[in-house]
Amino acid sequence: MSEEKVVKIEHKLDGDLFENIDQLKLDQNFSESIGVKKQISTIPIRKPGRQDFIRVHPDDSYRLPTAILEFKEEGENYLISPDLWHELPGEVTPKMLYTAINRQDVPFLWPVRLADETGRLDAWNRSAHKAAQLAIEKWVRVASNRSLGAYEIFTPTGELPEPEWPDINFQEILRIAFGDYQINTFDHPVIQRLRGEI
Amino acid sequence: MKFASKIFQEIWAVDFEFYGNSGDRPTPVCLIAHELLTGRTLRIWQDELSKMQSPPYSIGPDSLFVAYYSSAEFSCHLARKWPLPTHILDLYTEFRNLTNGLPLPCGKGLIGALTYFGVDSIGALQKEAMRDLILSGGPWSNDDREAILDYCQSDVSALVLLLEKMAPKLNLKRALLRGQYMAAVAKIEDRGIPIDIELFNRLEENWELIKTQLIQNVDVNYKVFEDGHFRLSLFKKYLIDNNIPWPKLETGTLKTDDDTFKEMAKVHPQLQQLRDLRSILSQLKLSKLSIGKDGRNRCLLSAFQTRTGRNAPSNSKFIFGTATWLRSLIKPEPGMGLAYIDWSQQEFGIAAKLSEDLHMQDAYRSGDPYLAFGKQAGAVPPNATKQSHRNERDRFKACVLGVNYGMGEKALADRIQQSVLEARNLLKKHQDTYQRFWWWSNGALDYAMFYGKLWTVFGWTIKVNENPNPRMLRNFLIQANGAEMLRLACILVLNEGVNICAPIHDAILIEAPIDELDDKICIAQNAMKQASKIVLSGFGLNTDVEKIKYPDRFSDRRGEETWNAILDILTKNL
Repeated sequence: MSEEKVVKIEHKLDGDLFENIDQLKLDQNFSESIGVKKQISTIPIRKPGRQDFIRVHPDDSYRLPTAILEFKEEGENYLISPDLWHELPGEVTPKMLYTAINRQDVPFLWPVRLADETGRLDAWNRSAHKAAQLAIEKWVRVASNRSLGAYEIFTPTGELPEPEWPDINFQEILRIAFGDYQINTFDHPVIQRLRGEI
Repeated sequence: MKFASKIFQEIWAVDFEFYGNSGDRPTPVCLIAHELLTGRTLRIWQDELSKMQSPPYSIGPDSLFVAYYSSAEFSCHLARKWPLPTHILDLYTEFRNLTNGLPLPCGKGLIGALTYFGVDSIGALQKEAMRDLILSGGPWSNDDREAILDYCQSDVSALVLLLEKMAPKLNLKRALLRGQYMAAVAKIEDRGIPIDIELFNRLEENWELIKTQLIQNVDVNYKVFEDGHFRLSLFKKYLIDNNIPWPKLETGTLKTDDDTFKEMAKVHPQLQQLRDLRSILSQLKLSKLSIGKDGRNRCLLSAFQTRTGRNAPSNSKFIFGTATWLRSLIKPEPGMGLAYIDWSQQEFGIAAKLSEDLHMQDAYRSGDPYLAFGKQAGAVPPNATKQSHRNERDRFKACVLGVNYGMGEKALADRIQQSVLEARNLLKKHQDTYQRFWWWSNGALDYAMFYGKLWTVFGWTIKVNENPNPRMLRNFLIQANGAEMLRLACILVLNEGVNICAPIHDAILIEAPIDELDDKICIAQNAMKQASKIVLSGFGLNTDVEKIKYPDRFSDRRGEETWNAILDILTKNL
């Protein structure tokens, strides 16, 4: 014969419901329970948008003077290993990669041309470096002015909060930003193409 | 099946059958009460019930009262002037809580709940015929009487089966708290809202004439009617003349539904009277208000009906659900007063405390969180006032309120009548100013999407179904904890001996003799503050009061013009 099922109506009642009401309360901080962290999967390599206010990372380990192989038509930038620079004279451009972020919390790498071996740098790039330096301290907006032949730099009059930098190091930023677009060997197909080998 | 309990001496599953006209108190027909620990059953017909001074079952602290939608049972208690039980387990509130947010193909009723748990409920199919027999109000033959008692008993048996299924899933303490609210609801429904019934009847008798006259009187300001009909072409001209941009359908035609008028009247208050007029003209009857013979508006408050756990009384039966002008029919009886007490910026206060955003809490404490937001965001100077920066404040207010509802930049742009860029900037300012709030709100949404549920401080839970609505989920914690606060306040206010006529979203309407009104208001305000402190861990929310003493009547600013226009017609013509 099967045993009769017993339904228990329990839960200790500690006196009046209202006297101990705090015992019934549940935590409302769901953020701490779940602990979601934004994963950065894309970091664009580009100039700041004309309307964007941006900041540049204050830590100088987050910027890199390097050489970039740029295919403007395809919109492609390749990071070239230093030992290959001399193999590609006239093809690579010396650039400073600044880690920057806009007000929408989108981090990006801002490449600004560096002076060539003769030390020359045009007004466009001089003003861009100046804007990047300023952006270490405050929010700036950079807009090209053709009649001026340089970038104009705007700073907001109101107080804006400090940017929230993603919690990743510069090596990781480079890896995400360039992905497969890094050339470390002389037999890379892009270099072979440039040399007319394929 | 056997029930056992170490904390209750008696557990009573109870069901009444009753009838009554809309707006009146119910007349009990019979009662079935089954004690679960001993198996004892009471079958009591109305003639015996009417002689009883107290319930035939124990309602003290050692007993548990179990019912499905217990406020109906308590309305019978109150009709018989019986006290209400100390401990109430309402399986309706608990079934709602277990399944809130999930699709329920068989509904939220007792049959639906049984079906949900896979319990055979075929006996309940005869429900409709029996219900008609009961609602007929008798007289009933001996066979009818036995049939009605058997029917009532079948509901109690079903209730016991449901308890068996639900008991392992219950958190009894929190369930008892919700049960307390069902008792409060019964008391509030029993009291009802005093209505100027004489004037209501006059309006109803002359409704057609009022409508015709109203077009003539109101249309003077708009000139959009022709031969008694609303003309779209004339309305278009009015909008152009008054420089009012208006939402359109995909076809390019102006939107003319009531929701559009409602939204636009918020931005352009001069359109409220036109909205009221169009709404009045669309009604065949003055209203379907549920008013009892004693001139009081009574209807089912439908507690725990919405996903946030708020009440959802019928908009046509409940006077606070009707057009705002109609609320001027609320009038205290001679010698009596009413007070409408609402929490100041309740949603903002809840968001500020639950998220632990200190900037937001400062803004709440300033007394004007909308302007405070503007100051904190650096959008207005620190010495800005409501008078000096009225337009800016309106925009901050729209943004602050909109954020709670997950309003996007396009909707905000429409609301503040500014460009999308402007709305985007405003939302960005909010995100920058209240970073902790956004972190909390985003976390809640992530949690809901990942684990499939969220809950309030007292465990009112929403489950995420296959079509999650992120805006609703974001808003849930604010609205549902607001609902918790109102429920607690109703219980506390009633426990303090203050009579409540109605709960209204974030407010209550209380009633007292005029010479006691101020004291009762003070007690109610203290209880409301206590309720907010309980829900928000010590963060007390303030309340605002509007007093109405006989012979004055309730007035809603938004409906004043229409009400005055209608009274004017009634006075001049009738």
